[in-house]
Amino acid sequence: MDRTPSNAAGRAGSATAGPAEPLLPPGRQTPPALTWLARTVDWSVVLIGAGMASLVFANVIVHNFFHGDIAWTTEFCELLMVWVTFLGGAAATRRGSHMVVNELVNRVKGDKRRWADAAIQLVVFVTLGLLLWYGIGIADAGRLSTLTVLGWPMLTQYVALPVASAITMVFVGWDLIEILQGKSHEQRYGEVQP
Amino acid sequence: MILFETFGLFIVATLLGVPLVYGLLLSTAGMIWWHDLGHPLTSVFLSYIGGVESFVLIAVPLFMLAGEILSRGGVGMRIVTFATKLLGFLPGGLGISTVTSCLIFGGVSGSAIADTAAIGSVMTPAMIRKGYSPAFAGALMSTAGTLAIVMPPSIPMLVYAFVSGASVRDLFLAGVVPAVVFAIGLSLDCVRVGKMSGCDNGETRSSGREVWTAFLAAAPALLMPVIILGGIWSGYFTPTEAAAVAAAYGLFVSMVVYKDLKFRDLPSLLLKSFTTSAVVMVVIGATSCLAWLITVEQVPVQIADMVTHYATSQWTFLLLVNGALLMLGCFIEPVPALILAAPLLVPLAVAFKIDPVHLGLIMTCNLAIGLYTPPVGGTLMVGARLAGVGMGKVVAALIPQMMISVSILLVVTYIPSISMALVHLVRGH
Repeated sequence: MDRTPSNAAGRAGSATAGPAEPLLPPGRQTPPALTWLARTVDWSVVLIGAGMASLVFANVIVHNFFHGDIAWTTEFCELLMVWVTFLGGAAATRRGSHMVVNELVNRVKGDKRRWADAAIQLVVFVTLGLLLWYGIGIADAGRLSTLTVLGWPMLTQYVALPVASAITMVFVGWDLIEILQGKSHEQRYGEVQP
Repeated sequence: MILFETFGLFIVATLLGVPLVYGLLLSTAGMIWWHDLGHPLTSVFLSYIGGVESFVLIAVPLFMLAGEILSRGGVGMRIVTFATKLLGFLPGGLGISTVTSCLIFGGVSGSAIADTAAIGSVMTPAMIRKGYSPAFAGALMSTAGTLAIVMPPSIPMLVYAFVSGASVRDLFLAGVVPAVVFAIGLSLDCVRVGKMSGCDNGETRSSGREVWTAFLAAAPALLMPVIILGGIWSGYFTPTEAAAVAAAYGLFVSMVVYKDLKFRDLPSLLLKSFTTSAVVMVVIGATSCLAWLITVEQVPVQIADMVTHYATSQWTFLLLVNGALLMLGCFIEPVPALILAAPLLVPLAVAFKIDPVHLGLIMTCNLAIGLYTPPVGGTLMVGARLAGVGMGKVVAALIPQMMISVSILLVVTYIPSISMALVHLVRGH
């Protein structure tokens, strides 16, 4: 099983980033449009996540020190949670850091490995297609109902699924193209990635 | 039975390298199509969204954020220094310090992988330099890192509470004593290895002043579990709020007190935390789809019939539970395993007059062991990588620790008072 924390083993006590380093890790080399999309996803995850953490903490302060309660925060945080999870999932796909059992596939080398990767990504692409198709239906149905406290259409929450699925399909699609161009797993994700 | 077919398809897909989340979604949707069950896929994927939107589960990314802040801020190093000054004089002292550091760091991170990576990156090279075999160092990190999910706050316990309706506060209380017992068990193995190999007969005992200085350096970090758990147990905040407090306190300690973290480090730290948590959360969501399917197909009823056929007493039921969970833990991570198994086991446990809190602890302990059993073991992978040896060698070296852990698991299972005494004390109060 491999995933991001294990890839980062050895980070404890690491030195902080120098001033010349970018604020976010750039990730793999892709065409400009794809890089722009990836950066947008990354920054959305950062901002939504920070907003969600801040809101929960703000509610603790208001609740314990001012004996009040920001009623809408619970519902709004749930909405943010759905967005940060699905967009975070898209960002993880681009980095190849989803939970994967790769013991078997790692034994396959060379062209066979590339074809195995292509088959896996095709399965992922099809699954994402299902999520996109049915996600659009779920989001569309969500126009008719509203969130209890905020009063916003449920669409605002549900649309996260098709949007993130479509973005992830773009990342997976590009990976498939690179596989067909002959790039190995190491060339696409680097050596430490699964 | 549809559960076994779906699970079989899922195992095949994941062993072939399909990411867990897509393996789960595809096997659920595939079974509906294959058996022509007639359930609309819209309902399945709606439960995918429903599986991640709960306010309770917001605690998962926030605890991961807190763990990431503390890992990057060098808190792990300070905890290690304190533990080494305090316990380094004992035979096997460096190993015991490793176990103790994992226990303490587990009290702030709640994640076994984070615990193994944060403490292991410091202690694994130190243990190898000291003369421990790399395989033993990797094995110890693999097992000790899992103390993080038994010691509160624990992300799997949060998820179990969400699924079963058990009290998070009680679950966290129930974890304290077993976590310490597991740590003592692992420490005894360190004494054995330190003495037998002769590599670690103990350092010179540190002076009281040295221990005090190390304690003061680590004190802001050591205070964190007190704040988090004290806040939850006293009712000042919910577990989700406690996670936000942990992240805010972690930021304060790392940026203001230790000054290890700069403002410009935050974006990458936030991205790392929320991407990592998303990886876990989408698996939770996908497992909710499977859980939805097995519920509407009335699988729990069939399982209940089967279990009650074989398990005629509480004793045999618990033995079956342990066996099944140890097997499940070999193939699947604790969080999805809990989401799958808890809805099936909780009603049965109640029928056998087992407290759901006790069951939650048993499940967590089983799945903690699953984290270092092949072929799929999260901490096993990290431990082996940190030690720079193959998984096979690490597995061979951790057999004594696994035997100790399984023995303690049986004790915790069959002597409920070990875990439940604190819970009953607080409930009674």
